[in-house]
Amino acid sequence: MQLPPSDIHPKLSSRARLQTDKVTGKPVLLYPEGVLMLNPTGHAIAQLCTGEVTFQEMVDKLAARYKKTSQEISPQVAEYLHRLRERNLLEMPGTTQ
Amino acid sequence: MNRPAPRPFSLLAEITHRCPLHCPYCSNPLELAAQAGELTTDEWRRVLNEAAELGVLHVGFSGGEPLQRSDLVQLVAAARAAGLYSNLITSSLGLSRRRIEELKRAGLDSIQVSFQSDEETLADRIAGTSAHANKLQAAQLVREFGFPLTMNVVLHRGNIGRLERIIALAETLGAERLELANTQYYGWAFKNRGTLLPSRSQIEHATQVASAAKQRLLGRMEVLFVVPDYYSDRPKPCMHGWGQKHLTVNPIGEVLPCPTAHEIKSMRFDIVREKSLAWIWRESDAFNRFRGTEWMPEPCHSCEFREMDFGGCRCQAALIAGDAAVTDPACQFSPNRQTLTEFVEASQKGTAPFSLDADGLTFRQNARKDDGAQ
Repeated sequence: MQLPPSDIHPKLSSRARLQTDKVTGKPVLLYPEGVLMLNPTGHAIAQLCTGEVTFQEMVDKLAARYKKTSQEISPQVAEYLHRLRERNLLEMPGTTQ
Repeated sequence: MNRPAPRPFSLLAEITHRCPLHCPYCSNPLELAAQAGELTTDEWRRVLNEAAELGVLHVGFSGGEPLQRSDLVQLVAAARAAGLYSNLITSSLGLSRRRIEELKRAGLDSIQVSFQSDEETLADRIAGTSAHANKLQAAQLVREFGFPLTMNVVLHRGNIGRLERIIALAETLGAERLELANTQYYGWAFKNRGTLLPSRSQIEHATQVASAAKQRLLGRMEVLFVVPDYYSDRPKPCMHGWGQKHLTVNPIGEVLPCPTAHEIKSMRFDIVREKSLAWIWRESDAFNRFRGTEWMPEPCHSCEFREMDFGGCRCQAALIAGDAAVTDPACQFSPNRQTLTEFVEASQKGTAPFSLDADGLTFRQNARKDDGAQ
């Protein structure tokens, strides 16, 4: 997995809505005709996709939170963002698909 | 059924059967509900709240044409307040700039616009009214207001040959999702299936075109195309199982396990005016009748695919085999498959070009205003 540029600002697409599921109390990402039930890591990543935080800052924050190094987790974060992009749920201004 | 009912994820709110279009492939029932019998605003609010409590996450406002209801904005606001992700499923007739502004403010999440073709003359003939130009403008409004746009095109013998151009139109309009929906033969479409069913070579070509587009547009536009079950060996996994994930509430408040369940004439559907949505979902005869696998006859009961296709479509079994409780006749293992195959083979003979004026093509008509509730 090629990492996105470190200064890119990932942002959840306006077609996606992050909210708490009434039944399970867990986070869900809703979009047209679909839903992703997020695990804690996915939720942590999705919450950082505000368009205000760079990829590098995102990785550093998550690394601190999960007590890992940035190098260890950056491929996983990149992979997760890639999956969101494939579903057209993430904007990465300045990159091409 | 002693197992607890599963959780529903989506609600189709058919808020009216009134529609300015007359498409001959409409899957609404032949006996359309009149305005007089429609649920009120407060009744729909209750339905939306109860659906959210049950676990529903998505609501589609549909019909008929949902914009025909003057309280649509209030219903969208109620859906938003209940935490539902809402989709407006519309012909776009009646979607003015003012209306779309109001819908945006009320919290509508996405919009699906139907197109009959990529080109005005054919599109308007299929719709039975002048609509195409309006749709092009409406699609631009949808994008201007930042809504995700789904373009839905019902495919049949008359437009399936134009698939490349239909996909190109979706790209031009900036659609994020394109539903290339082969006609499903229920309601008005079943009545017209002799004229509407594409030929085998049309289906094969369309399958290739759609598959190439899906690859090419990955990450930009989601392209959906499913080979129609008349041409498939396997039945469709209808609604992902009866009473498993989905419910439909029709204009008069009947709760249906699938939008075309009215085809099962022997079945009675409970009404939200009389019972709670939770009771209907969990306890009613209609929702439990075909839930799970215990109801299945052979060849479904011992079939390795039974948890994949759930025995197929109950409505099609009722329509073709005259019994909703048998294997879907689209299935290669169904003793009734021959009926469908004979119909498909008979449809190959006709080399005559598609004619919208062909004898027997019935355009949809609305219920008369003074008709009472059914």
